[in-house]
Amino acid sequence: MISTDAKFTSPNDIAAFARQLRNKSKAIPKVVRVCIGTGCAAKDSRKLYELFQEAARKSSRDVRVETKNVGCHGFCERGPIVVIDPGEIFYQQVEEPDVAEIFRETILGGRILERLLFEDPLTGKKATKAAEIPFYNVQKRVVLSANGLIDPTQITDYLAAGGYSALAKVISSMSPEQVIEQVEESHLRGRGGGGFPTGRKWRSCREASGNGKYIICNGDEGDPGAFMDRSIMEGNPHSVIEGMIIGAYAVGAEQGYIYVRNEYPLAVRHLTGAIAQTRKRGLLGKNILGSNFSFDIRINRGGGAFVCGESSALIASLEGKPGEPRAKYVHMVESGLHGKPTVLNNVETWTNVPKIINNGGKWFADIGTEKSKGTKVFSLVGKVVNTGLVEVPMGISLRRIVEEIGGGVKDDKKFKAVQTGGPSGGCIPAEHLDARVDFDELTKLGSMMGSGGMIVMDEDTCMVQVARYFTEFLQKESCGKCTPCREGLAQMLHILTRITKGEGQADDLDKLKALAELLEGTALCALGKTAANPILSTIRYFQAEYEAHIQQRRCPAKECKGLFRYKIDEEACKACGICLKNCPVDAIVGEKKVPHKIIQEKCTLCGTCWDKCPFSAVLKV
Amino acid sequence: MPTVTIDGIKVEVEKNATILEAAQKAGVWIPTLCYHEAVSRSGACRLCMVELEGGDQKQLVTSCNYPVRHDLVVSTTSEQAVKARCGVMELLLARAPESEELKELAERMGVLQTSFPTVTESQRNCILCGLCIRVCEEVIGQSAIGFAGRGVDKAVAGPFRQPAEDCIGCGACAAICPVGTIRIRLHEEEQEIEISPFKSRNKLIVCEECGAMIISAQVSEQALRKIESIFAEFPHRLRLCPQCRKKQTAKKLEESKVFHKKVTVS
Ligand SMILES: Cc1cc2nc3c(=O)[nH]c(=O)nc-3n(C[C@H](O)[C@H](O)[C@H](O)COP(=O)(O)O)c2cc1C
Ligand code: SF4
Repeated sequence: MISTDAKFTSPNDIAAFARQLRNKSKAIPKVVRVCIGTGCAAKDSRKLYELFQEAARKSSRDVRVETKNVGCHGFCERGPIVVIDPGEIFYQQVEEPDVAEIFRETILGGRILERLLFEDPLTGKKATKAAEIPFYNVQKRVVLSANGLIDPTQITDYLAAGGYSALAKVISSMSPEQVIEQVEESHLRGRGGGGFPTGRKWRSCREASGNGKYIICNGDEGDPGAFMDRSIMEGNPHSVIEGMIIGAYAVGAEQGYIYVRNEYPLAVRHLTGAIAQTRKRGLLGKNILGSNFSFDIRINRGGGAFVCGESSALIASLEGKPGEPRAKYVHMVESGLHGKPTVLNNVETWTNVPKIINNGGKWFADIGTEKSKGTKVFSLVGKVVNTGLVEVPMGISLRRIVEEIGGGVKDDKKFKAVQTGGPSGGCIPAEHLDARVDFDELTKLGSMMGSGGMIVMDEDTCMVQVARYFTEFLQKESCGKCTPCREGLAQMLHILTRITKGEGQADDLDKLKALAELLEGTALCALGKTAANPILSTIRYFQAEYEAHIQQRRCPAKECKGLFRYKIDEEACKACGICLKNCPVDAIVGEKKVPHKIIQEKCTLCGTCWDKCPFSAVLKV
Repeated sequence: MPTVTIDGIKVEVEKNATILEAAQKAGVWIPTLCYHEAVSRSGACRLCMVELEGGDQKQLVTSCNYPVRHDLVVSTTSEQAVKARCGVMELLLARAPESEELKELAERMGVLQTSFPTVTESQRNCILCGLCIRVCEEVIGQSAIGFAGRGVDKAVAGPFRQPAEDCIGCGACAAICPVGTIRIRLHEEEQEIEISPFKSRNKLIVCEECGAMIISAQVSEQALRKIESIFAEFPHRLRLCPQCRKKQTAKKLEESKVFHKKVTVS
């Protein structure tokens, strides 16, 4: 018997303790899991958790109920999510008044509340378990497997779920060389954007001369709208830490850092708590699990600039210098943090490591395509029915993600493009929707894997505006150190802005392409080198749309103000007078029972009538 | 020692020397802006791009900070390299349209005009090469100025964009500025030196004899601290302008009669 907070002194302790925990948990028949991930927490799921706790406390019935806070389930669109065991009963869109009923009916009575189950909008079929919902059953959850199951603040939950068994295996039976071999065999590639082979990185660092090597986890996640790494750090912090300890063992590092952006206070809290628990258990610090391997981890909070996620800028920031990129002609694995050999990997990359060790490199390499193995987490957002966090096997088509997991485009609109790869990714149009999720295939299409942003766009999206939006983001986030990125992005934004205003010039596309080439060839870091992707990919697939703006001063998607007109559909107009009353420049004429009309000469295209018409009779033409 | 073949000329350089140093040795000119031998490398301006040949792929690199670790073949005249450098120069010309120094360098590169309008204006005519910041920190030891903001808002300034308090008015930044944007202004009435655009002002020492402005008081003070002089007159001499100093020295010599009659002043 190992006491509940004992320090582990041998790798064997891990499995023994996990067995003990599982036996104990069998004694608690009922478990309520309340998601406190980003999406659900925004809908006040913490309150639900408190109410469940209170209900459990006050219940006169002699039944043991355990209430757990768990990390993101991914189905954020349908949050807050509450899962009840036994039965894995999946309740969605749970609200405060539902708590008492769930407690009485489901937890105590064992009856299912139909109205809280997910209903398939196509078939009308209700799903009792997550696995019965298309959103989930098309996914393959490796990295996120324990998210939604374990309480991220309890190391015991992670241990009971098999946590730290990979570390025990490494320390008891594998040499550093064998660890690297497994990672190489898995063909794991970095999930932070670049897709560099992780095993090769580790090997170079192991072979680099010098002591005092470092391990770093990149948790900066600066892509707007992305929350993959956040959900992992918040929902399963120990999986990141276990990966890092194994990495340190493999390359021979003694100190590690986790660089988390400051805007993620919960991630910082959960990681900090997890590190403290790990130290206490003898999983971090001196003589890990009784071996002669020592390693520790510190947390560093990033200032939040997007560019700080770039490896050399991140290191500068860790060194207390301004977070600006540096030349990388000498690789970090030779000379990184404080000039020492350094391995930097992304959160999701680290999380994959314990899985690979436990199941073997070959198991991992069996998932995916020839050159992209394993799974990838995406944050699926935009004009799609089911937004959320999804994990899919590499090689799955974009179509399946958008249509089956995402449930297709919202409001019956037509699909136009899916943007992958974060702000410097690209837009992939409908004709390539069958392309597979694969590092090289996405790059060939002019986009990239990036760190896992996926934005679905519908027919009302103007692609010039899309390019402009991302260019503006990058221009603001450029550190401004090097000429091409700082000046080039400003020039590109200048050109794009004038196109969206209907002031485009005949050679603007050529100018954009020339600037794009200049940036790719001469910028200092990857931010600048890839910054033109949004422009190039939209020109590649939607050139006609650019030309309509430039040549005909027309925005086909009717998004660019001034490049389309408003017109009242006489058939649909009920002559209610609302538009007439609201028009700030009196450009609308009409009387009772007579369809209204817009006087085009007076209209300033402000769009008020379009917003206000209750019958959607105002059209954009 | 590794060999660098640059535009066909072979030179040997120390390991970890830069391509730019190899080029200098080979007598090949590569334009630079943010490079100066007195300070550390930055690689910010991207004007010194050259093309690395051989290996699996051709690659554009900045010659000022690319370390030579094994034999290299480099072209400064390849189409890609020339296009890259000229493109960067055009962007710089749009940013600093009034700099004569920049125009001169552009002309030497064959860039006679820019096709871009001026769209970034965080600091007029400053190309943000950072030489001033580095010289102030690394050579003078003051770190009076630094970068403020990022991206297009980036500018060189004192802390919180206020007049640089730690500036001692030495003028090293103005001397190193490759585009002539940092200027020294003398305010006769207040007897002050101002480094524009940092708005920092320092009192000047005025010649005790003729009243001419000589040097920033702080610079003189710091210099004195660094020098150990056995010459008792030295601090006093420092308070004279060069002309008066000459005169006084001659007078003193005359009085002491050390070189009596042997020296003829022409
Ligand atoms: C502008 C920029 C921002 C980046 N931001 C991140 C980030 O937020 N998180 C991350 O893991 N990698 C980011 N990267 C990629 C890192 O530079 C680096 O390649 C990565 O962390 C390496 O880990 P991996 O091999 O596991 O992907 C960024 C790169 C660039 C150029
Ligand atoms: S490419 Fe952009 S972000 Fe990267 S160093 Fe240059 S200015 Fe900074």
